[in-house]
Parts: sequence; C-alpha cells; structure tokens
Amino acid sequence: MNKEYIIIAFTENQIGVLNRITICYLRRKINIESLKVSESSIKGISMFVISAFTTEEIIDKVVKQIRNITDVIEANYYTPDQLITQEIALYKVSSKMVGEHGRVDALSRSLSARLIEFNPSYVVLEKTGTREEIEQLRDDLQRRGVLQEFTRSGSVVLHRDSLEEILHEIENN
Amino acid sequence: MANKQKVKGGEALLMALLEEGTRDLFGYPGGQVIPIYDHLYDYRHRINHILTRHEQGAVHAAQGYARATGRVGVCIATSGPGATNLVTGIADAMLDSTPLVCITGQVPATMLGTDAFQEADIISMTMPVTKWNYQVTSASEIPRAVAKAFYIARSGRPGPVLIDIAKNAQVELMDYSYKPCLSLRSYHPRPVLDAELAAQAVELINAAERPLILAGQGVKLSGAEQSLIEFAETGNIPIATTLMGISAVANDHPLFVGNLGMHGNVAANEMTQHSDLLIAVGMRFSDRVTGDVRNYAPEAKIIHVDIDRAELGKNLRVDIALHADARDALEAFKNGLQHRSREAWFAFAREQEAVEDEKVFSHTEDPQGRFITMAQVIRQLAEVERGEAVIVTDVGQNQMFSARYSRFNTTRSFITSGGLGTMGFGLPAAMGAKVGVPDREVVAVLGDGGFQMTMQELGTIMQNQIGLKILVLNNSYLGMVRQWQQLFFNRRYSFTELENPDFSKIAAAYNIPSRRVTEPAQLGNALREMAAAKGAYLLEVAVLPEENVFPMVPAGASLSELLYND
Repeated sequence: MNKEYIIIAFTENQIGVLNRITICYLRRKINIESLKVSESSIKGISMFVISAFTTEEIIDKVVKQIRNITDVIEANYYTPDQLITQEIALYKVSSKMVGEHGRVDALSRSLSARLIEFNPSYVVLEKTGTREEIEQLRDDLQRRGVLQEFTRSGSVVLHRDSLEEILHEIENN
Repeated sequence: MANKQKVKGGEALLMALLEEGTRDLFGYPGGQVIPIYDHLYDYRHRINHILTRHEQGAVHAAQGYARATGRVGVCIATSGPGATNLVTGIADAMLDSTPLVCITGQVPATMLGTDAFQEADIISMTMPVTKWNYQVTSASEIPRAVAKAFYIARSGRPGPVLIDIAKNAQVELMDYSYKPCLSLRSYHPRPVLDAELAAQAVELINAAERPLILAGQGVKLSGAEQSLIEFAETGNIPIATTLMGISAVANDHPLFVGNLGMHGNVAANEMTQHSDLLIAVGMRFSDRVTGDVRNYAPEAKIIHVDIDRAELGKNLRVDIALHADARDALEAFKNGLQHRSREAWFAFAREQEAVEDEKVFSHTEDPQGRFITMAQVIRQLAEVERGEAVIVTDVGQNQMFSARYSRFNTTRSFITSGGLGTMGFGLPAAMGAKVGVPDREVVAVLGDGGFQMTMQELGTIMQNQIGLKILVLNNSYLGMVRQWQQLFFNRRYSFTELENPDFSKIAAAYNIPSRRVTEPAQLGNALREMAAAKGAYLLEVAVLPEENVFPMVPAGASLSELLYND
C-alpha cells in the first residue's frame, strides 16, 4: 500500500549528488512530493529530506540504491510519525480581510499566524506547523477568496533519537 | 611521490594515468582533447594509445581489456558526439560491473552551459550509468580526480567512472604531485563479513540435502575462483554458473553442472527447481537467470552473498543475505563445513544431463547434413581451442551458442555483454581483450548482424596488427529476434532478414586473411586454419538459416517450463 515515506540522507556537499539521488526515484517512476537540502550541523555535509508516496518494499530498495552513491554518507527511510516535522508557510492575503477584523494583529491572532508585512493592498502572514495545519489555513483562506499567493518550505525534521551520531563519529576520526 | 613539478593539465592527466598503471589506452581524438593528444604524442612509448574507428569501439575495447585482464580499462573521447558515443559502453559496463575510467574533453569552463560547439552535458547524461563522474574545470584538480576515479572504478562492486575535462584545464599549468586515493569517508567498498551470519549459513549448508552453488561474475571479480572450488569440494556441492560467471569454473570439473537461465543447461535449471538450498555468490538474480520469480526455486532456502548491499533482496526474498566480498564469504563457509555424499542429488544431475543429451546435444547437426549449424561450429571450435582461448561474443544466438558449447580451463575466458545485451560489443571487446592478453588466443564469435554494427573496427585491427580471430556465424538473419518471431509471433519475420555484403571482400579490403565455408565437411579444417593463423583472421561460416537455441525458458515463464526443439 502506498504511504508517505521520508528519506533522510547525509551526503558530501558535492555538485551532482542531488541529481544522483533524484535519479533513484525517477528510475522507478516515483514522484517526489517535497525535497529539502541544507547544510547539516557539520560543515561540508548536506542533509536531504525527501518525501514520497510509495510502498515500504520499494522505499527500502530506493534507500539501498541511494546509499550506493559514492558521495552519500548515510541514508534511511522513516514514516512521518517517527519524525518531528514542521513546515513554514507564507500567505499573501488581500487587505480587505483586515477590514473584517478591524485590526491587523487581530487578524493574525485569529489565524494563529505571524504578521510579516502589511500595506494597503495586502498582508503577508507566516505560519509554522504540521503539514495539515499549513494546508488547513491555505484552504480556509482560499475558500474566503482572499488568498493571493502561498509558498511553503517543505518539511524541516528532527528524529527523536540522534540522526547525526554517525556524522559526529566521522568528524571525530 | 610529493615530487612537485610544473606541467600542463593535459600532461598531468597522462602522468596520473601512468601512476595508476595504465599502459594501454583506447581513444579517438577531437577538438576538445587535442591538447591531451599533443602530450600523448610525447608519451606514445609509455602509453600505448590505440586509435579506434568510433568512440563506441574505444569503450567496448576498454571493457574487453578490463574483463580479460582484471585491470581498469581506460578510454578517451572528445566532447559532444565523442562523449555521447561512449554512453552505450558505459551503460554496458555499469550493468556488468566492469571497471572503466572514461575520459572526455569538454568545452572551456567559461563556455559551459552556452551551447558551445560540441558541448554536451555528459555529466548529467552519464549519471544513471556511472558509479561516479566528475567535471574538471581547473588543471589543479586533475591528479585527485584521476586517483579517485581509479579507486572507485576498481573497488567494491567495480564499475565505470567518467572524468570530463574542460579544455582550459588541459592547457593550464599546475604543480603536479600524485597521491593515490586509498579511502573516502562516504564510501566503504569492502564490507566486513558478519561471521555469525556466515556460521548460520554453514549450518544451513550442512543441513541441506540438495544444495546448489550459483556462481556469478563476482567470483571472478574478487579472485575467488580457488576459494569457490575448495568450498564446493569440501562440502561436495554442485556448482552452476550464470552467463557472467562462465569460465570461473573449468567445464570439466566434476562438480560443475552447467549454466543457469534462459538458455542454460537442463541440469543447472532443473536442479535450481529441485534444490533445498541455493548458495548464490556474486550474482544478482537477473530475470534471465530466474524466469518467473514466483515459481523460482520453490523448495529452496536461499543464501545470497554480494558485495553490493542494494542487490540483497532486490529481485527476490532470501533467507540469509550476506553483504560480503565473494572470497571472504567462501573462505568463511569452509569453517565447520561437512562433506556429505549427496548421492541421490548427483544422480539427479546425471539424469538431467542425460535428458539434455537426448533432447538437445544429439540434435545439434542438420539432419540432412546440408548446412553447418551454429551449435556445431562452437562445439568444434571448443575442440580445436581445447578450452584455452578467450571467447568474446556478440549478442544473440551467437552468444547463447557460445555460452552453451564453449569449453574453458581458465578464468576470465568468456567475455560477453550480459546485462545490457549490446549488439556490436563483440568485435571491439575482443580487440581490447587481445591487447590486454596478447599471449592468449582470442576469438570473437559474432553474428552477421552484430558484426556489421561495429565492423569499422577492422581498421583498428589492421592498423595495430591485433591478432584476434573473428568467427562470423552468418545466417542472414537477426537470429535471436527471428527465433522469438518464429516461436511467439507466428513466424512473422518482421525486418529480421539481412542482405549481407561479401565479408571476404571486406576482410580483404582491410588486409585480413579470410575464408568462407558452407559445407559441414569443411568446418574442422577451416577452424584449424583459423587457429593456426599468426595474425588476425576472419572465418565466415554460412550456417543453417533458421536454427534455434534450445532449451529455452520463455521470457516470464518458470524455469520448469523449458522449451525444446520439437
């Protein structure tokens, strides 16, 4: 059965690693839902967080092929409930909404969002939360016909245990 | 080796190749590698550069060289079309775990991404088919890139790597010093054998009534041929080989029961289906080996040894997955291994061999005696060469007959395009093999189709006086496709019939002596004449046009559903 699986990979910060990793998905015709690459807590080592819907049998084969890439130091797959996951999203909203709430801060408070920018034609709000929370606000604003633009970060994750232990071992050697 | 000297990038490349032991190089010059070739002119007595007639010829030659010698094969091509012409060979080497270092020229760094003349993004194009690739844009990167390339190509599960060198990097001056690459923090090619798991495997082996060893190319790649024999003899266990594993075990070894898979031997396949324990070493359960995996080896537990973790459990579930080098595992398996007589099991093998004798081997000749058959050619070739020759095949019926009827006494003697099935591989790969092992007899067994895909390499053979023997089995068909059309498409021979040139005239144009035979009575004499020839020689055998390779496991069928000629 298709479920969401998140692969977390630590790699050398080298040109082409991203391409080699996405090829492992492409070959099996798996669509990547979200992908985030950033420097890990160790300089020169990148952390990839890639989310896709597939089966456990397939993701296990994909992760083995990712590990085979010369510049990949470690890769593992997780289900969302194994990770602490948050996303950040920005919403550009028509300023006519402010009129309905009287004040801008009242509006942001009522949506549990942070006010980033405010001018006569629009308001930019920021929200941090789970994927569901982010999407719920998006849908809500869309229904009201006030959402002008929307952008999101992709998942920022932490494992309850340390994922980077292996990296520290490398660093200490 | 920290002797610093100022050299240009192009020369640094050649110095680094020499450090890695490269003595032979297959290539084709072009605009973006002229600076490298300019240095090669000075290095021509230290590096034997062989000018092929097409870049595909260069990469296949490097493959044949690597497969025959166990060393890394090296080829070089220019940017753009030169580089893209290498891709088929690189993909072939990737699937067949062949260590290659491919060097391509590239437009100057300042022009990258501008669609400059002969610019191709070869790094992106070869990512799915290389173990590693790297673009060099400054001369100072060259020694490190070459050291990494060789280390990655030959370690672990070997494979092809590509270094793309921008033209400016070839002409820049740099301080040369060379340090071989011995490890990389993100890459661990030599797995540590799990001794406990190996001991569990030995328990399974000792308990098995009907064990069968499936030996793949990994046995050759890890130099485990002797360990394999010792393991098999200690436990008294029969050995079958995959297509890529052929010649790892001598055919006349009493424990050898033949080849596996689609056109394998009856005993090897039937024993797979009746075995209670498969011990798979350095092979990957390709679909050509397993047939329908759901009905594969229904009674067997499976021990799978591979150096590539991604292969374990990839194509079928196994009971013990041992991530290990083949030799390490085979050595470990000898600990505590019991010798068992397995009389019934060997009796079963002999029965199945008798079935093949009756249903296949006794029908390999044309009943009317008019035509020579391909099976007959390879059987007689095996008699003439006495198991000493390196047989390099093309792809198709010529390949399957060669696999079935050749005989080998020594390892690394059967070179074929197994995974990718690349027609046109045979002639250039044989050329490379002969350059690599000049003292051995090398025979290219080709069909009339595959021969014509890379026939231009006769020019390379002529110019470099490469003394290989070329055996063309001419049935005027793309025989394997025709066989499938006959068996599964109602004899609708859609575009598989060839009108061929006069091959002897072609050979004559290249100054290569040749002979064409059509009568069964001429065959033995012609093969002996070919074997006795001092230099290159082409023997064309006009064979029975509609001969089929049997037995055959139809694609997707179970190994138990063997087709015979009836």
